[in-house]
Amino acid sequence: MHPSYLIVAGLDFTALPQQLVNGLLLGAIYALIALGYTMVYGVLKLINFAHGEVYMLGAYTALFTSWYFGFLPNLNQYPNSSFWILLIMLAGSMIVCAIIGVLIERFAYRPMRNNSRIASLITAIGVSLLFQYGGALFLPNSPPPSVAEKVNPFGGAFSVPIIPADAKLSEVVKATQPDYEQKKKDLEEYLASTGQEEFSSDPQVVAKRDAKQAAEQSYMDAKRKLETSGVKVTIQRGQLTMLLTAIVLMLGLRYLVLKTPAGRAMRAVSLDFDSAALMGINVDRVITWTFVIGSAMAGAGAMMTATFLGTPLTTQYGVQPGVKAFVAAVLGGIGNIPGAALGGILMGVAENLVVWIGFSQYRDAIAFVVLIFILLYRPGGLLGSAKVEKV
Amino acid sequence: MASSGRFWLIRLISCLLGIALCFGIQSVAHMLGNTYYERLIILAGLYVTLAVSLNLINGITGQFSIGHAAFYQVGAYAAGFISVHYMTQLHMGGYAWMFLMVVVGGIAAAITGFTVGLPSLRLRGDYLAIVTLGFGEIIRIIVQNSDALGGSYGMKDIPKDYAIWAVWLLAATCIATCRNLLRSAHGLSFLAVREDEVAALAMGVNITRVKVTAFVIGSMFAGAAGALLAMFEGFVSPPMFSMDTSFIILTMVVLGGTGSITGSVIAACFLSYLPEYLRTLQDANHQALMISGASIVAGILSALGSAALLKRMLEHASNLKGRLIATGSSIAVLIVAKLALTPLLTLVKPMAEKQIPAEQLRMVIFALTLIVIMLIRPSGILGRSEFSLDWLKRVFMPNRRMATEL
Repeated sequence: MHPSYLIVAGLDFTALPQQLVNGLLLGAIYALIALGYTMVYGVLKLINFAHGEVYMLGAYTALFTSWYFGFLPNLNQYPNSSFWILLIMLAGSMIVCAIIGVLIERFAYRPMRNNSRIASLITAIGVSLLFQYGGALFLPNSPPPSVAEKVNPFGGAFSVPIIPADAKLSEVVKATQPDYEQKKKDLEEYLASTGQEEFSSDPQVVAKRDAKQAAEQSYMDAKRKLETSGVKVTIQRGQLTMLLTAIVLMLGLRYLVLKTPAGRAMRAVSLDFDSAALMGINVDRVITWTFVIGSAMAGAGAMMTATFLGTPLTTQYGVQPGVKAFVAAVLGGIGNIPGAALGGILMGVAENLVVWIGFSQYRDAIAFVVLIFILLYRPGGLLGSAKVEKV
Repeated sequence: MASSGRFWLIRLISCLLGIALCFGIQSVAHMLGNTYYERLIILAGLYVTLAVSLNLINGITGQFSIGHAAFYQVGAYAAGFISVHYMTQLHMGGYAWMFLMVVVGGIAAAITGFTVGLPSLRLRGDYLAIVTLGFGEIIRIIVQNSDALGGSYGMKDIPKDYAIWAVWLLAATCIATCRNLLRSAHGLSFLAVREDEVAALAMGVNITRVKVTAFVIGSMFAGAAGALLAMFEGFVSPPMFSMDTSFIILTMVVLGGTGSITGSVIAACFLSYLPEYLRTLQDANHQALMISGASIVAGILSALGSAALLKRMLEHASNLKGRLIATGSSIAVLIVAKLALTPLLTLVKPMAEKQIPAEQLRMVIFALTLIVIMLIRPSGILGRSEFSLDWLKRVFMPNRRMATEL
């Protein structure tokens, strides 16, 4: 029996746990990207519009690294994949993104530091457009390539039951299975002994075939009923790897910011730029490190989405995730690192809930709706201080 | 009363001159006798309207909005929808219908502008920018998913009806509205909001009303331009109004000078012609010009490098001579760097082998314009100065000062 009591007001609650888990997994990536926005905003009070493009370049780095290891597109035979290749791809994307982030800061944002915030924002928009359209001239993007699925050694999926399947139904399956196997065996043995084709018009064969099909039908029906009677969540192993890596990276960042001198310097600059400089903190170096860490996180996220989700790459690859991650950062309270993680996960979940309700074509609009509401009613974000900027 | 009579006489003459100028532009276009040039002149007129109306919000009132294409879209779809469904029923056509559609597009966009502006104008600076961008995207996504409006395929078969003078008359109206607004007491309160919100508030300016008014007027003109676009093209689709369109309008405002109407007009004409110019570039064999990847990268890097150098030098230059030397030497650096980097980058094989058609450089040039302008002259080419004939008055009547001279 299908748990029909779980369909309320046209919403299929049996699909809800799956969507929540998907949202959590996607949200972990948004959280990684959001960290870059929030850290840069914390120290520079600048919305780094080009962060999404750093993410895009990270995904391309992962693609090129996988090509270097022989995972070229449209091969019949792929080389064996291993954990180490993935690790090299991850490190490569993080390093390349860190370098690009530092270059953007050094050559585009640093000269603008004494100008107005709007001037910096326009520069950031310019840098973002330059990477999108300049990149489109050189990077392969039409048709959009994607990282070969075979590079991921953690293939496959596993299921976690939420509501166990109906016991009566599993007995029906058990009861019908021997009958089906017996009929199938009969048919095969008869065919083997007489040397006939399976679809011959011999009356004996036709009779045995019909019997087998009837048994198969009832067995499969029972099996399908069993499968839909419970509620379960299917998780791709690759996505789980993604979540675990994201958690490890975020814990590492938390340690870095809270327990090391560099992190203390970063917090000091974020608290008060000028006083930090007066206290002998090398502000330029702190900003450089902020960009290194933020961009490396985006690189890690990009490598993982490109590899484990297999999304096709274009030079616009970073636009939507960038916007959503920015909203995540604002949602959590921009400048607040745990807030970015929380906001990322909430954004991922919100997006999947929109899909679950049945408005999948609006999944890209939900980010802006959330943003507008959070800015209007709680501009400080969920975890941020709710101070309103004056003047 | 004599002075009042003269006031209205001058108004009347300038209105007539403006209308005459619009028809003049039309007859020039007809003299060129080519639909290609007509198209260019119409698009330039639409972009002038868009840039000046965005400048009213961004430059004159100081509210940084970057979702202007949304209002353009609302106007275009409103006019398109009504034209498709009601034009034959209403037994109208010709200029009356065109005028009606411009009004409809303007009103639809103004209503949208009011709905979007009222909540979001509580925010400032970069947050306002993001929210306007967000509203723009939401409107585009809604249109894209609405079957009545043609969804992502766009709206086809809009009755085509256009006139060059109408497009430029709209642009002239937009320019005149903004210019005259600036000379009125209302306009001064707009400027006060831009300069210092708290001070303006203390002086009794209703800042919310000023901001929303600017936003509504700006979006109304964008919507009217959209209506003309729909009737000119006979077809509208969501990609015509994407984020890129917003950024192109923003580039025009930023390049011309945030706050300068003259600057926006010049930049809009120049930048709307640029893609067409790139398309017409040809090589020796009359094929579309292909530029090597190495040359493009060298160009981008040397442009950014010399702009950064110029910025540094301008900060230390104290007089005109110093500024001229700085500009001259950075242009020299630009040329030398370009010439030196191109062969160097040609050594990088994938870059040297890549041949790119010149017309694909359009958005790259817009992006570079944004960055370079921000580096060397954040206030734009014309800053806040306007084209005016005041200097004539000063020559002939040296003892009179303009009341609104700032």
